[in-house]
Amino acid sequence: MQVKDILQSKHLTLLNQQGNLNNTVKGIFACDLLSHVMGFAYEDNIFITVLNNINVLGVASLIDLGCVVFSHNIEVNKEIITKANELKMPLLSTKLTTAEITIELSKMGV
Amino acid sequence: MDTYSKKYNIERNDINNAGTVASLTKRALKKRGLSREFVKQVTIGVYEAEINVVIHSYGGTVIVNISDDQVDITFTDVGPGIPCIEKALTKGYSTASSYAIENGFGAGMGLPNIKAVSDEMNLESSEKGTILYMKFDITEKCYAS
Repeated sequence: MQVKDILQSKHLTLLNQQGNLNNTVKGIFACDLLSHVMGFAYEDNIFITVLNNINVLGVASLIDLGCVVFSHNIEVNKEIITKANELKMPLLSTKLTTAEITIELSKMGV
Repeated sequence: MDTYSKKYNIERNDINNAGTVASLTKRALKKRGLSREFVKQVTIGVYEAEINVVIHSYGGTVIVNISDDQVDITFTDVGPGIPCIEKALTKGYSTASSYAIENGFGAGMGLPNIKAVSDEMNLESSEKGTILYMKFDITEKCYAS
């Protein structure tokens, strides 16, 4: 499955234009502590977080995550969107809670 | 292949640039044809140590050496040091500031993560500062197939 496939969900909105929508997505890692993400997430995971911070992109890029989903409809900083475009990392947003979007993505077969 | 040797400065509280050394090291390792898994292990180690220098110390330096058979990395920072190394190596133990926690760090997983991914780790600390050494062995299986 690729990022463009999960964007078929009515609950997800794309936040940046230069993310690679062909990135493979496999598995989900939902967390707001970056050391846990570094230590336990796998490459191509969908990273779900409410952490509105530039370091989210650093971690996602360093361990080759598939995309980042910001849950709870949080307003993402412009700085993060610019950085995501530089790194070609797809950024998605949802109004759902972290738990709800995790279930939604799981139902989609991620 | 030529030995890669670089030295970088790391500034206190420079959260926005934390990860730069990890990113540059990752690039250098990929160029040498090393596997994604091996590159990830080293990247995790460097990133965690970089964050530690940024959020806990008054600043420091890192030297990254990559040869054909190993990657060795030494972080040297200026105070305040780690009061109890044994506690610092315990998963979940953290002395991070609210500033670090607000930025997604301070889970108490930094040093345990480094220990888990590296082949050798050595930590020395006093009130003057901390020296963290980590080594990753490069064997045939570390190369991408």
